[in-house]
Amino acid sequence: MADLMTGSEADVAVVGGGPAGLHAALVLAQGGLSVVLLDESDTLGGQYYKRRPAQLTAAFGDFRPRGTELIRQVREAEVVVRTGTLVWGAEDAGRTLFTSDVRTGALGRINTRATLAATGAYERSLPFPGWTLPGVVTPGFALHLATMDRVPVGNRVVLAGTGPFLLPVACALLEVGARIEALVELNHPYRPRASALGGTLRQPARLAEAARYLLTLARHGVRVEQGARVLAAYGDTQVTAVDIGHEDGRVRRLETDALCVGFGFRPSTELPRLLGCDTQADPTGTEQLPVVDADGTTSVDGLYVAGDCAGIAGVQAAGVRGQLAAHAILRRLAPERAPAPVAGLRRRARSLDRFAALADRLYPMPATADIPDDTQVCRCEGVSAGEIRQAAETGWNDLHGTKAATRAGMGPCQGRECGHIVAALAGRGSGPNRAAECFAARMPIRPLPMAATVEGQEVP
Amino acid sequence: MSTNSPPQTVTVTIDGAPGQAWAGQSVTAVLVAAGIWPLRRNPVNGQLRGPFCGMGVCLECEVTINGRPGSRSCTAHVTDGMDIRTHTEPLPTAAHG
Amino acid sequence: MTRPDVIVIGAGVLGASAAFHLAERGYRVVVLERGGPNREGSGTTAGNLHIQAIHTRRPGQEVPVDSARLLPLQRRASDHWAQIEERLGADVELRRGGGFMVAETAVQEEELREKHEWERRAGIPTEVVTGDEARKQLPLLSDRVRAASWCPLDGYANPLLITPAYLTAARRLGAELHAFTPVTGIQRVGDDYKVLSDDRSWTAPVVVNAAGPWITEISALAGVGIQMSPVAIQMHVTVRVPPVMHHLVQHIGEGMSVKQVSAGNLLIGGGWPAAKLDMEGRNTVSVPSMAGNLAQAGRILPFLGDLRLLRMWAGPLAATPDEMPVIGEVPGHPGFFVAGGTYAFTLAPVWGDTLARQIAGEVAADPVDDLGPGRLLYDDATTPVSP
Repeated sequence: MADLMTGSEADVAVVGGGPAGLHAALVLAQGGLSVVLLDESDTLGGQYYKRRPAQLTAAFGDFRPRGTELIRQVREAEVVVRTGTLVWGAEDAGRTLFTSDVRTGALGRINTRATLAATGAYERSLPFPGWTLPGVVTPGFALHLATMDRVPVGNRVVLAGTGPFLLPVACALLEVGARIEALVELNHPYRPRASALGGTLRQPARLAEAARYLLTLARHGVRVEQGARVLAAYGDTQVTAVDIGHEDGRVRRLETDALCVGFGFRPSTELPRLLGCDTQADPTGTEQLPVVDADGTTSVDGLYVAGDCAGIAGVQAAGVRGQLAAHAILRRLAPERAPAPVAGLRRRARSLDRFAALADRLYPMPATADIPDDTQVCRCEGVSAGEIRQAAETGWNDLHGTKAATRAGMGPCQGRECGHIVAALAGRGSGPNRAAECFAARMPIRPLPMAATVEGQEVP
Repeated sequence: MSTNSPPQTVTVTIDGAPGQAWAGQSVTAVLVAAGIWPLRRNPVNGQLRGPFCGMGVCLECEVTINGRPGSRSCTAHVTDGMDIRTHTEPLPTAAHG
Repeated sequence: MTRPDVIVIGAGVLGASAAFHLAERGYRVVVLERGGPNREGSGTTAGNLHIQAIHTRRPGQEVPVDSARLLPLQRRASDHWAQIEERLGADVELRRGGGFMVAETAVQEEELREKHEWERRAGIPTEVVTGDEARKQLPLLSDRVRAASWCPLDGYANPLLITPAYLTAARRLGAELHAFTPVTGIQRVGDDYKVLSDDRSWTAPVVVNAAGPWITEISALAGVGIQMSPVAIQMHVTVRVPPVMHHLVQHIGEGMSVKQVSAGNLLIGGGWPAAKLDMEGRNTVSVPSMAGNLAQAGRILPFLGDLRLLRMWAGPLAATPDEMPVIGEVPGHPGFFVAGGTYAFTLAPVWGDTLARQIAGEVAADPVDDLGPGRLLYDDATTPVSP
């Protein structure tokens, strides 16, 4: 049956064509190994170095030219680039990867000597009443529309949640002509008063970048409201209004035609977890991160992890971590080569990690305890917070049992949107309920068109 | 390379009505620009849903593109003559027995 | 409960059914479950109600089931399932849409006819129809279908609902459930069994070992050697689609079952082997089994090719060496009962009732003496564990 899949070979497969994967693939190929770089998207770059389509680049210019340069180097180094290729499964410590062509559905198999998972992250959402209304989106979606497509997500936009990412999104929205009704930051990362003037962060390390964004926002008259949050969104067929709650109990209703809410990022860890890699809880206790050493080596021999999927640390750290993992793979697979010195990269990685830890402290997550019972948590299966709490409170169910009892996490997104919330809600009990901290990773990692499997075999 | 020349325009059909878009734009962007937010109904509760994550994870933005149902509009790009269909009609039945 | 009448080990569908039937008769029941209830084979199974004979081997299965022997029990199970929602006061998404078992070759068609004869004798209504007749009823069937046997009693119940429904009903009748309570020792104390879970213990004159793939381990704690051969099989589920079929479709030649569950997902199984059975962790699915199972299902139901596979998983099956179920008191160990083995989902109501009757000293509704654990005993069991 395996013969229905066309197989190919490479020394190393790099899964994910974002900053970590690109940097890693380049080092590996320059080191003389055959490298296949796989990405589900039809272009390289990942989220940060996302490519603007060629037709729009001609009109609007190159987006993040550093990404263009990096991709050019990767192609020149003769990395085999396979975009539009979904890695939906893996076995044998990642030495076998199962793929699907996103356009044709054709199945494939790649055999490697080592695999680097550089699968990045997705945005962290937290449910509130009305969050499933059309027009309620992630900040990343708004950024994508503004930067790639040059389309404002709305005319009167409300941005909310927490994290430094809200600032560049707001600036990108202004650039395409959207009006920002409010920028609502849950925490207090920015100096009071100063933020309105273009302000500064309390921590000087983050000063330059954030200050630039804050200055732009101030120039456009956008004030960052700190210590406030979205309570609920309203609308019939799409969002038309939102309630903003302030710390003093004041509630303000704003009219809006696009509400963007995000709480930072969640690592996309399905591939390493599928391969049985040791994991540990992240500081929120609702994610399981692959346990890695300084070079991205995991507990699974031959499997390496780099970039945000090993813990959110941002684009710079992803690039450095990608290079470190690549050097570790080179030392392993090409021991005859003189190993490259990596002390400098490791120092840089440590410093960037400290930077990320700082951000975690500046932008803590809100508690899930106050999600109202009637709020939908699992968007796909329409399961409410109350149903999840009820299942957990029987005392019979750990997280997996809660999923089985409620169907939360069983829909087409496979629990990616709600998994961390279900974990937080189902983990409220004591004892064994604390044991399971995230949904199991299963094949297929994404819903897989079945045409190829169904048609691929003759009757013996 | 000039960065001033306007992008090339293509014609697409959204739910039977012709519309203009820039070649290369994502299908979601074209829908949003046309003010079309609800794209489908949740099969469990019938609620209207629209694009959410924009990166192919949530699958809320699925539409029918050139006759192919279940196409993610956020990761698809428009081409000239593309036929895009949303599915916001009420569900035939909530469940079946 | 300090002094129960019966301790049931295992909160899968059999343990839950036994607890319910016993509690209904007024027994004080304690159920001990190593993890969460319904998390292993009972919660990972396909949920098929097999009323017509299966007569199919799982891929890799060496010994065939004695299908004819089981048919009276399936007939009895059919009656139990017909009343189950009313009896438990719960919706378990019971669907009795009938089922086709299809044949692609002349030899397979002959097997359908042979099977039909056994079913007729057991009082199970089936009918062998031509491929065209089957397609008239279910146009989704492909031209490959040469003949099919049709049984209006075949169906489906949601495996995620039935065990919790049994447990809830049992608890309403006074039974106690202790989840996340692995049994660590079983001691004989006078005429009783003392069942330990670390520093906790329960003592009762009767123990029901319904531990599924752990039957061997649990029996060994009581000094009973029972040979089981657990395997892991895998299931595949598609994304939800609008209602397209309400039949269970199986294949006489190779393991295959396809149906649309009430949520709208298509569930595709047939006992294809998983890559690895891991009793302490998670079973590993096999991609070749996936490819084989889906190709075969798509050959019979080509519309599956338009769907997307959402998930697959593997769960344990507590098979016996002779592939037949095991139920009854262990010879030489009065009060120690075992229940498990093949067809456990379909037969769960029958086995719950049978155990309750056996424990009460009554005659079973159908004779099951030949299915007792005596045939699976071996001598070199470990000695009873004592702390």
